[in-house]
Amino acid sequence: MDTGKQPILHIPQSVVDDINGYRGQVEKFLKGETSPVAFRAYRVPMGIYEQRTEGSFMVRIRIGAGMVLPYQLERIARLSKTCGNGILHVTTRQDIQIHEVSIEDTPDVLEGLLEVGLSSRGGGGNTVRNVTACPRAGVCRREQFDVAPYAVATAEYLLQFRSSYNLPRKYKIVFSGCSDDCAFASVADLGFFARVQDGAKGFAVYAGGGLGSNPNVAVKIEDFVGDSEIFEVAEAIKRLFDKHGDRANKHRARLRYVLARIGPEQFVKLYKDERREVAKQGLEGLIPEIRATSVSPVEPTEPGDKDAGPKQYAANVEPEKIEGLFTVEIGLNLGDILADDLAEVGQIAEEFGRGVVRTTQLQNLLITGVAGSDVFRVNDRLSELSVDLTATDKPHIVACAGAATCKLGLCLSRGLAQAISDRLADEEISDRIRETSIRISGCPNSCGHHLIADIGLQGRAKRINGRLLPCYDVLAGAKTREADARLAERVGTVPAKRIPDMLAEAFKQDASDPQLLTDLVQRYSNFSPDQLADDYYFDHGSDEPFSLAGRGPGECGAGVMDVIKLDIDEAKEAIQAALLAQWETDLSDHLYKALLAATRSLLVIFGLEPKNDRETFTQFSDNLIRPGWVEPQTQQLLHKAIDWRMGDRASLDDLGPQTTALVRRVEELFLSLDANLKFKAEPIVQEDDPTQAEGQTHTIDLRGVACPLNFVKAKIELEKIAVGEILEVLLDEGEPVRNVPDSFAAQGHEVVRIDGVGDHFCVGVRRKK
Amino acid sequence: MPLSEQQIERYSRHIILEQVGGAGQEKLLSSKVLIVGAGGLGAPAGLYLAAAGVGTIGLVDADSVDLTNLQRQIIHHTSDLGVEKVASARNKMQAINPEVTVETYHIKATADNIRKIIPGYDFVIDGTDNFPAKFLINDACFFERIPFSHAGILRFEGQLITVLPRETACYRCIFHSAPPAGAVPTCSQAGVLGVLAGVIGSLQATEAMKYLLDIGDLVTNALLTYNALTLEFRKVRLNRNPDCPLCGENPQITELTDEEQTICDLNDSKH
Repeated sequence: MDTGKQPILHIPQSVVDDINGYRGQVEKFLKGETSPVAFRAYRVPMGIYEQRTEGSFMVRIRIGAGMVLPYQLERIARLSKTCGNGILHVTTRQDIQIHEVSIEDTPDVLEGLLEVGLSSRGGGGNTVRNVTACPRAGVCRREQFDVAPYAVATAEYLLQFRSSYNLPRKYKIVFSGCSDDCAFASVADLGFFARVQDGAKGFAVYAGGGLGSNPNVAVKIEDFVGDSEIFEVAEAIKRLFDKHGDRANKHRARLRYVLARIGPEQFVKLYKDERREVAKQGLEGLIPEIRATSVSPVEPTEPGDKDAGPKQYAANVEPEKIEGLFTVEIGLNLGDILADDLAEVGQIAEEFGRGVVRTTQLQNLLITGVAGSDVFRVNDRLSELSVDLTATDKPHIVACAGAATCKLGLCLSRGLAQAISDRLADEEISDRIRETSIRISGCPNSCGHHLIADIGLQGRAKRINGRLLPCYDVLAGAKTREADARLAERVGTVPAKRIPDMLAEAFKQDASDPQLLTDLVQRYSNFSPDQLADDYYFDHGSDEPFSLAGRGPGECGAGVMDVIKLDIDEAKEAIQAALLAQWETDLSDHLYKALLAATRSLLVIFGLEPKNDRETFTQFSDNLIRPGWVEPQTQQLLHKAIDWRMGDRASLDDLGPQTTALVRRVEELFLSLDANLKFKAEPIVQEDDPTQAEGQTHTIDLRGVACPLNFVKAKIELEKIAVGEILEVLLDEGEPVRNVPDSFAAQGHEVVRIDGVGDHFCVGVRRKK
Repeated sequence: MPLSEQQIERYSRHIILEQVGGAGQEKLLSSKVLIVGAGGLGAPAGLYLAAAGVGTIGLVDADSVDLTNLQRQIIHHTSDLGVEKVASARNKMQAINPEVTVETYHIKATADNIRKIIPGYDFVIDGTDNFPAKFLINDACFFERIPFSHAGILRFEGQLITVLPRETACYRCIFHSAPPAGAVPTCSQAGVLGVLAGVIGSLQATEAMKYLLDIGDLVTNALLTYNALTLEFRKVRLNRNPDCPLCGENPQITELTDEEQTICDLNDSKH
């Protein structure tokens, strides 16, 4: 280490061990000794995600409480330049990401980070994620007390246990210094709000909040707990989550679904039971000490400047609670910063601030503890960099990664952010709305946190005259304050291309007036389908017509589901219309339309976007008829439809029942889609192609499932594959990997291999009978 | 239908078994078993088959629960006194396993109605307590070609046989017809050890499950006897009887009739 300063978060020994074992795992994977599926299950909880471009990886570094030291930034910057693309990304959860790293380089990155006390362990997957805190913790004038030490200690406590990396889904913990909730504790899995009661420090605690699908505001589980009780609380919620979280369905696994399922009363009761149990047993592992995180404050040299001074000259400066000290905000374009600039920000903090840089939930950086007299020098130095020092002067725009890099994305959220920003640059923005936030998510997954924005935008697709139109749902009315939190509600849906103009108009008047926004949305969402300019079918920043081609089985694909449903609804409407049709030609028209919509609907999950009717039918035939997902006779149905279309057949009036049956089957398949966008419905015809069976790998992830249920589930999976094929079973260490292979062997199946993959195992079982 | 998460958990101890597995459990879930007589034998059979997830279970019984039943008919509770046995039994079975469909027939099984009830069931359990009913079930299952388990209990002894009609020895191969009234004492006259019903009724459920899963060996062409006092099981081998009036070479019984002897004047299950 090139400085005497200790890292703020002390990485537990178990994490150090895991990182030291990482290189070996990568080597095994590269030699082909570990299957891609098993390796991914190991890689993601290490905080390493594959990007949309295959073979390109992202390393998500946890920045505990959003506090990072200059020498750490220097190392992050260097690793990004040598192993990545030289651009760092600050996330809404205060992490810093290195992008475009090849898998071969990831061990260097992880080891390089570890040398400076940083880690990405738990950056992804079903783990305890970065424990975040107010970006101005310790210096904020409104805070009850500095919550950063508690966030750091909670992370240190939880990260030491392997069980924290194998939860039903992710577990997000947030500390807020006051009820204003800049840290968004009111929508976290577990949120702490600082309180002082009878002179003692402590917290009001909330749990079960979350954005994404089925968003929910957290409910209060404790009025007040003393500051030494936070570990018990975090442990109790972890256990509750572990026991009651739905591991079978990833989409319904987050803690908020437990809350929704059993209701707040029962939820709080379960929590209290767990907490009592934890208290009875006593906490395991090392109990971290709660250490002051702020590096010793600089004494203001020229107190004469005081708060009024710098603020007058710079929009990005905020007075701190110690008179004469200031926080300087560095605006980043959607969280991105050049590696060299990041290192320089660290240097500036070292020279002028408290030697700590903060990452913020708005994806900016802060330098705290700058003396009033130094503010100008700091801004001078910063103005040499490609950062924005006027960011706080405009409505703040946050956007998720969007369809450009995210496999789940629907709309190009960053393109829209740019378009809004360009459009607003020309407008006079009144002071009043400076603090307005615009948050954009490219799909319903809410990575851009659109549900807690003043104006939230969520990408969706509409089908107009057979073409896909990129649109955004406009949401408003969110509040994030302790005990008064409310999620934004949908006002309407506006074509993507109209959003910037609509917002410009909103800001010219008063964006905070709900009625005005409602009126505007209504006006901008009103269009006649036939008069839309061609340009509307192109998403922001794209020169290709809007399409879902290439979007595919990501970790969720919620946006894709919307589009499929759109088509199925269209098919059903056409069937209805056909039933009511009075003329034979109308009847044929409607039936044809139903056929087209039904056959088109599911193609998107195969990453296909047919250009015309014939292509639709051909692709449907290749992907759904041939593999046996629908009746083989559907092929004749499609031929007849094409014949009619070409004028070789007078009418389709005899095909009503068949078409209706097809629509029903397509809907059945749609409803059976699982998290990987695979059909769970039984195929109509079993595929009987031995060559294909040979090369196929079947995998089931049973980590987190205890004995003997893991064997039960693996066995059911084994029954689904053909005799002679191999099932890969991912199992936890300990009892599961000791028992399950033996049980299979005892029942006459062949255990072909047992590979250790980090903290879990991949067991290959060949079905013998 | 693939098993749901809940089903996987509920039936996990079945699925683990090599001879059952997920496929076997799915088979049970789609099976139908009819139990004639919701009394001493029907009680354990009904409870275990419901717990096992046999998808549809039919119950035939015309009686209501009375106090003398409770010493052995454990599916009925004191609070059920006066309640129709089929309703009382259905409630317990569904309490154990709500996903089981219980079809109830609050009637006495007779030659007129039994052939309307049993078609569609995969297996029949004879849990009746009188000879005419036992012959009736034997004959009906023969005509409908449905396998069944016969059993009887008295004092400390029980007997059991599984019949695959037209393949293995039937009840009439052994006993041509019902004995004259009074020749054989009934439970109410002679008494019965309550737990005996539990042992034999459970064996009938075992036979039903083995048949549905197509595993193991059934007690066919053999009469299994059990003596609770000595705790001895004996298997008496026997063969199809060529002179059997029902399934023999020159059958005399060609249609279903109710046997004459009907003296079981007791407060036990009547059918």
